[in-house]
Parts: sequence; structure tokens; C-alpha cells
Amino acid sequence: MPLASEEAVAHDVRPIAAPDIANDNDRARWRDHETYKALFVNPWTYMTGAVVLALLNIALVAATGKGWGVTTSLAYWGAWIWQAVGGDPHQWAYFAEVKPAFNAPGFNLLKDAGSLTNLGMVVGALLAALAASQFRVKRIKSRRQVAAAVLGGLVMGLGARMAFGCNIGDLFTGLPSMSLHGWVFMVSIFLGAAAGSKLLVKYFI
Amino acid sequence: MAEKTLDCLGEACPVPLIRTQRALSELAVGDLLIVQIDHSCAMKNIPEWANKTGHNFEIQEVDDGQWEIAIERGH
Repeated sequence: MPLASEEAVAHDVRPIAAPDIANDNDRARWRDHETYKALFVNPWTYMTGAVVLALLNIALVAATGKGWGVTTSLAYWGAWIWQAVGGDPHQWAYFAEVKPAFNAPGFNLLKDAGSLTNLGMVVGALLAALAASQFRVKRIKSRRQVAAAVLGGLVMGLGARMAFGCNIGDLFTGLPSMSLHGWVFMVSIFLGAAAGSKLLVKYFI
Repeated sequence: MAEKTLDCLGEACPVPLIRTQRALSELAVGDLLIVQIDHSCAMKNIPEWANKTGHNFEIQEVDDGQWEIAIERGH
């Protein structure tokens, strides 16, 4: 195995392109280049990630007047889907009182910065996986996994609405803007994650 | 020396790590556990755990975005 020749890589736990496969030689050559691996294959350090995220959030605030958030737009998407199948989410207290922007005339996906950054995140994640040669369609392991994902998604979606955001809206954007709800969220998410981990280990794995 | 394969394909963190810990604890010292994963963060936390707890391991990329980590129970 080629592991022994991988001396220079500091963390040394990343994928080893398989130079023993003859057909892969051309691809392996540029993919094995240290600069390419540092940028596109190996995970960035937390420090690099933090600085890049901070710069991007500054740019987002400058461009849209709002910090980065994810789940509010997901609630919009759900409401638009509900509307498409004949429902009327505009009367809901959440949109009437908490998020009146949703009911503004002409509001749509292209006018919601959060929807655009969410789409950008999906496309960016796809490009990153492709650049690292790590894209693959993963199989669904079991019905239990599906049930856990659906149940977890519902609980997290409900929690994110009650908390006015998720890790991003509350911690990443809320805390630096000195908003109290970010601190309440931080304490709550630690308690919730601790309880969730216990349940996961006990019932799911 | 026995060898066991653990199929963690399609599983997300922290499930592969916890299943690896359980499976390895059921093996005898010197036995080999082959963990199949396709979740890149398991590529980080399983080797980190093996390093920290003193089990030798080797990683092989078997396909795009799919790896096998061979861990030898060290103690």
C-alpha cells in the first residue's frame, strides 16, 4: 500500500490517490500535487475556515444588510411548497407577525438572500466534492436511518423556528451581533445535543 | 489473527466511529478490523481516535469518496 510514501502530509490521514491503478495515472498526477490537495482535497484548518467564513459574512452584510442565516429560508421553501399544493400559509401567525417579509407583495425565491445562499451552499458543496474527487451517490442504509432522518429533521425544523434560527443564524450571526437569543441558543443547543447523543448511542446505533 | 469487516457505507458521523469502537472492542488483541466508509468526516475522526487510543491503522481509498480503514487492535 502506498501509505509509506505519503510522508510529507502533516495530518497524514487523508485519502491516498491510488497510483497502483494504471489507468488513473494521469488523474493521480495533478490530484497528488500538494497545492491542489491543500486547496481542494484536504480539509482546511478551523482557523482558515473561520477567517474565510467571517470575510464572506462581512461581504454578505455589506451586500444585503443581513447576516448569514439558513433555516428561515427553509421555512419559506416549505410554505411555498404548501402554497403550490393549495395551502394558504400567508395567514399563519408566524408569517403574519414574525416574518412579515414573506407576505410582502412580489416576494419570491430570487428576492430572498437566504434562499440564494442556501442554493449556493448546495452547489458549492457539490463542486467541492467533485474537485476533491469524492462525489458519490450514497445508498440508504436502512429504514431505521430514514425514520431517524425524517424525525430528526422535523424536530430540528421545529426547534429552529422556535429559536429564530440554527447554528448559523443564532451562533454564527446572532452572537457577533450581540443578540441575547444567540446566547440562549448556545446553552440550549449544548443541552439538546447532549441528550440527543445519549439517545443516538442507545437507540440508533 | 482474525479479520472482520464493518460496513459503515451510507452512515454519517458519529455513527461510523461509535460502531468502530464497539466492533474493535469485541476483537482480540492483534485482530484486524476493516471499516468501510464513504463519509469524509469519518476519515478524520476514526484515525484520530485510533491514534489517541494506540491502535495502528492504514487508510486506503478504494473508490472516489470511499475508503477502507484497517485498524489493528493494539491492546
